Amino acid sequence: MAENKIKAKEQAFKELSSKDKTKKITDLLLNNAMYIIIILAVIYISIKVPAFLKLPSIVNVISLTAAKLPIALGIGGCIVLTGTDISAGRVVGLTACISASLLTTTFKVFPDMTSAPPIIVVLLTIIVAGGLVGFVNGFSVAKFKLHPFIVTLSTQLIVYGIILMYLMRGTNNGQTLSGLTDGYRSLITGTLFSIPTATGSVAVPKYVLYSILLVILMWVIWNKTTFGKNMFAVGSNEEAANVSGVNVSKTIIMVFVLAGMMYAVTGFLDGARIASANANTGLNYECDAIAACVIGGVSFVGGIGRISGIVVGVLLLQIIFTGLNFLAVDANMLYIIKGLIILIACAIDMRKYLVKK
Amino acid sequence: MKKKIALFLVAAMTVASLAACGNSAEPAAAPAEEEAAAPEQEEAAPAETEAEAEAPAEGEAAAPADAGSVAVFYYTYGDTYISSVRAALDATFDAAGVAYQDYDSNNSQTTQTEQIDTAIAQGAKVLVVNQVDTGSDDTTKNIIEKATAANIPVIFFNRSVGEEVVSAYDKAVFVGTDYEMAGHMQGEMIGNYLVENYDTIDLNGDGVISYVMFKGQEGNAEADARTQYGVEDADAILTAAGKEALSFYDSNNSNKYLVDQGGAWSAAAATDYLQTALSQYSEANSNMIELVIANNDEMAIGAVTALQNAGYNLEDGSATVIPVFGVDATDAAKEAIGKGTMIGTIKQDAEGMANTIAQITQNFQSGADKFADVDAANVVGTWRVNIPYATYTGE
Repeated sequence: MAENKIKAKEQAFKELSSKDKTKKITDLLLNNAMYIIIILAVIYISIKVPAFLKLPSIVNVISLTAAKLPIALGIGGCIVLTGTDISAGRVVGLTACISASLLTTTFKVFPDMTSAPPIIVVLLTIIVAGGLVGFVNGFSVAKFKLHPFIVTLSTQLIVYGIILMYLMRGTNNGQTLSGLTDGYRSLITGTLFSIPTATGSVAVPKYVLYSILLVILMWVIWNKTTFGKNMFAVGSNEEAANVSGVNVSKTIIMVFVLAGMMYAVTGFLDGARIASANANTGLNYECDAIAACVIGGVSFVGGIGRISGIVVGVLLLQIIFTGLNFLAVDANMLYIIKGLIILIACAIDMRKYLVKK
Repeated sequence: MKKKIALFLVAAMTVASLAACGNSAEPAAAPAEEEAAAPEQEEAAPAETEAEAEAPAEGEAAAPADAGSVAVFYYTYGDTYISSVRAALDATFDAAGVAYQDYDSNNSQTTQTEQIDTAIAQGAKVLVVNQVDTGSDDTTKNIIEKATAANIPVIFFNRSVGEEVVSAYDKAVFVGTDYEMAGHMQGEMIGNYLVENYDTIDLNGDGVISYVMFKGQEGNAEADARTQYGVEDADAILTAAGKEALSFYDSNNSNKYLVDQGGAWSAAAATDYLQTALSQYSEANSNMIELVIANNDEMAIGAVTALQNAGYNLEDGSATVIPVFGVDATDAAKEAIGKGTMIGTIKQDAEGMANTIAQITQNFQSGADKFADVDAANVVGTWRVNIPYATYTGE
């Protein structure tokens, strides 16, 4: 079957005029530009620094990617709705602070507590907290017809205020929260499995597994549920979706609530991963997450985006940054390179869309 | 209809929250004064009550509620060290019955300058400014001009300001730290520690210690100084003891530091950097990073986390300890030093700074000499007080 298809394609390709042929090839190159860039980047970096392709380095890139995936998965849905969510980083910060204040051995924020509550209770609490911020975002977008940028700008400020107040609680005085319980840390950063190598073994942390599970969960939600289909319908054309019987408000609210929950999970992972949390935790996380989504083909035009694209986007950013790090590129250049990558990715993405039109 | 109700609810909530803010913040001087005065009245001293009663009378034509209030501008509430100064200063002011209002400039000089205008318009009697833009004489001059116009004293603290500008106004002082000192002391502490433990630290036994330096922010004088002297001074001690100078772990990196891209001196940046570095440099490859120097404790703690994830610096003491050094002596760092997962830090004395600021504020208010009752050893000329640093390697 597959062979026939390829042959048919070959046949069709041969029948094209030479002008169309070059167009077809450029299209193919541009449509897969991100994958090509990844491959070229990996080849270049590993020629310069062979250690980049060694197992420890690969595991490092994968685990850093895993740590940054959940927030991008959440924000992706908001972008599909032609929106955005700039409160994401602060929600990560808030939930990381709540986790670190409860799953600790020092209890500075709640001096009356003597033992940490069960981890699952804390996880549910912060998911509710994240979902609540998401609900406020979604409700304001859906009911007041406000642009998500301005709504989430507001909630970003509100959440930051709450973080600052939270950190001043008890005897903490705005200090960094640390002294996390072993149970919490090992649940996140503990070893999932070790890969033996010639020079010892490389441990893969558990949060990689959690990220994979979240990717699967989000893939199912986006592709196999009515809610997911409604999300894309609302994203491509709100009016049309409304006319065809989709509950637009409910869909928008649910997308933002789901996003808020994903930020909460990011905060939960980051609290343990960094082993401390303060007012700056999560600052600007949304920038990288939005960039990763756009690089991965989630379009600001709305209604377009795939979970696999988001994973590729996060991975690409991480490979580039880890790689530039390996190459010891000047820190100032990193900003420029990052800016260029986002700009080029968006340009390619828009080009696809313009051609369709 | 539903939409209208929802809108109305939101509007009502906003009004309510504004009203709540108003209560706690805007006419802060009045309630703060009352609160501060009340316990003292109960405790004792009718003299205190008299003093409080007198204050509004002296307050000239300004709104009586704001008489004698102190406006304090913090460069950001998000900074851990500044938060401890704020907690200490609030406590000192409360105890002394001084009315004050705190402002968060949120890392923006524009915001801060506008807040200063507002505070002066409200009738603030003393400005305490943690300037956002460090080392910008024009900004300092601008603030001093505003203070001169209102004829009120201004106390700069923590973030450095220029000597010429501050000395030009007799009611201006700077309470800071000799910002280069932290770097020098960190370097000295590292040098001495290395000389004592050279062979244990030199894991691959090549006679050279390879290190990583985490810089908090580009373009910040303190970060620059700490990055430079943290290594230079350590090298000086090492070479004096006949050892090799430190060598940056990655010979391709000509900067010889890794900087937080967000400029936030954050733990996360250090964790991610070190995790990446450790994927390439390890004991097995016999090029392990043998020393971690960080511009602040946040980054030091972040580095400890990455080391722990790689099986070093464990709390139970079962693993090799890669020495990690920071600056600030935050609670988290002290804890880590207590547990042996971090070696040392430089203490910025938040309480000392707060006490000095409060003392100078009261001197200005009572008309005494501005440096009265301030430790004379710390006073530099007629314009500045340096709060000394101290090394901290555990209690």
